[in-house]
Amino acid sequence: MTQPVSIIMIEDDEGHARLIERNIRRSGVNNEIISFTNGTDAMKHLFGADGSGLVQKGNALLILLDLNLPDMSGIDILKQIKENKYLKASPVVVLTTTDDSQEIKRCYELGCNVYITKPVNYENFANAIRQLGLFFSVIQVPPAAT
Amino acid sequence: MLTVISAGSVYLVNKARDDSKWVVHTLEVENQINALLLEIRRAESGARGFLLTHSADFKTDHDKAVAAIIPVLDRITRLTGDNPAQRDNIEKLSAAIETRLGQFAQEMDFVRQSQPDKAIAMVREAAAANTTSAIGSVAGAMIQEEEGLFRLRSTNADRSQTLAASMTGIGSGLVVLLTLISIWLVRRSARARDDAELRLRDANLNLEATVDERTADLREANDEIQRFAYIVSHDLRSPLINIMGFTSELEELGGDIFRRIGGLTHVPADGPPLPSGEVRLEDPDRQLSGDFSEALGFIKSSIAKMDRLISAILNLTREGRREFEPVKIDTRELIETIVSTLAHQAAEAQAEIHIAPLPNIISDRLALEQVFSNLIDNAIKYLKIGVPGDVRIRGRTKLGYAIFEISDNGRGIDPKDHQRIFDLFRRAGTQDKPGQGIGLAHVRALVRRLGGTMSVSSELNTGSTFTITLPITWNTSNRNADR
Repeated sequence: MTQPVSIIMIEDDEGHARLIERNIRRSGVNNEIISFTNGTDAMKHLFGADGSGLVQKGNALLILLDLNLPDMSGIDILKQIKENKYLKASPVVVLTTTDDSQEIKRCYELGCNVYITKPVNYENFANAIRQLGLFFSVIQVPPAAT
Repeated sequence: MLTVISAGSVYLVNKARDDSKWVVHTLEVENQINALLLEIRRAESGARGFLLTHSADFKTDHDKAVAAIIPVLDRITRLTGDNPAQRDNIEKLSAAIETRLGQFAQEMDFVRQSQPDKAIAMVREAAAANTTSAIGSVAGAMIQEEEGLFRLRSTNADRSQTLAASMTGIGSGLVVLLTLISIWLVRRSARARDDAELRLRDANLNLEATVDERTADLREANDEIQRFAYIVSHDLRSPLINIMGFTSELEELGGDIFRRIGGLTHVPADGPPLPSGEVRLEDPDRQLSGDFSEALGFIKSSIAKMDRLISAILNLTREGRREFEPVKIDTRELIETIVSTLAHQAAEAQAEIHIAPLPNIISDRLALEQVFSNLIDNAIKYLKIGVPGDVRIRGRTKLGYAIFEISDNGRGIDPKDHQRIFDLFRRAGTQDKPGQGIGLAHVRALVRRLGGTMSVSSELNTGSTFTITLPITWNTSNRNADR
């Protein structure tokens, strides 16, 4: 019954994506990572062609989300995920450069599970991601609504 | 013009009066001449009557008439003194009259001596000499002359009067005309003034509108700059993360490579390779490794610096966007709190902080905290090494403003740097303390937003005094003006 958790990474900067992936792997997480560089593709994958989210029914997902995307705001994606009955149980980790308190507050209000500001200092960055890996290993990703 | 006209008419009226006087004068002269003739005839008839009747009545009559003749003649002489023609006549007349009077006297003498024959002969002689008729003719000539004068003078008088009348008429006409002109002028200037007032009001309204427009434009531009700074600094951060991340990766990679090189060149004779971190390299390789690390070190420190600058800009723009909230602030308590948080640094620098009584103000608490903590922090930070610090905070009020002074006995600021220290990312003096050159720029921006001003007075090695002037009551209208 338990299904391996897929990590959906929505990150427009390929460098960031690579660094995140590397550090996740270094922390010993071996789950599948599906990455998207823009919001539209990610939405298509998450919600399917019909936009209902039915395609992800029963899948265990963990979403890594950047807020600054070229085609849409990450906040919109977060909002739609948390409003969708198949996806709302999936943990969403917002991983972005913005450290504005207003923005952080907004994301938590919308249902984001963890908000991480990407630090320029690489040690801190790597640390944050590794802790996230730790978080992955502890977190019980609930199966999506059936 | 009116003066000329009035003067003219006064002159003309005077002339007319003169002329009339002359007319009257002429008539008087005529009158007197007639009276003279009458008197002479009376004297003559009196003499004749006396001669015929010897009656005393005729004698008295004659004497009265004779007595009257000379005064009348004198008066005529006086009256006609101005006329040369008449003077001649008068001379002739007086001569004739004298002759006649002489004859009268002789006649009377003859009568008195009772020689009527002689008297009658005398009368006849007189009649033959025609003295009386000579007098009559001279008098007639005089009268004629006077009549000529009379005509002339009446004409003159008439003309003067007509002139005076017409002058007065013209004057009145002019007065009316001028009145009309002035009414018209007054009306016109009143209208011009009304027009000007209207235009002025329009201009005022326009001006207000223009000012509002410009203010809105400025506000928009300011917001734009804020947004721009925010977005730029934000977006700059994204590539910076990559640079930093991959530089770190590169560093690790470099470490791996040099370890491998070390491993290859130094195959340890005994047992397994050395644990990581302790790579034994040959000199040229060590040199390479050193250069590699140095280069990466510079890159990393530069990135770190850039990140700090970007964060500073971000904080500044964020601060610029924060809404201020005016509250009543116990300034002394606020500064004491700041001083207590800085107590550790102050102790380290052997600095004492003295707080004089301070005026309380209504302002934004957080902004004020940042202002004072930056300034006090600076005062403690830039003291002279080895000299116990003395930081004083004073305050007073003046014309609705509270003036705060933070002075120290520190290293001071060269006057040529006084402007520079308020610029973003600029510092002055010996660079022996960590800092980004943000504090004072930030403080000044805050003070300005609070509707105040700040200035510095300082000289090298004698300490600095920062003066902040803030409105005692900062309210929403200030904010509206600012936002």
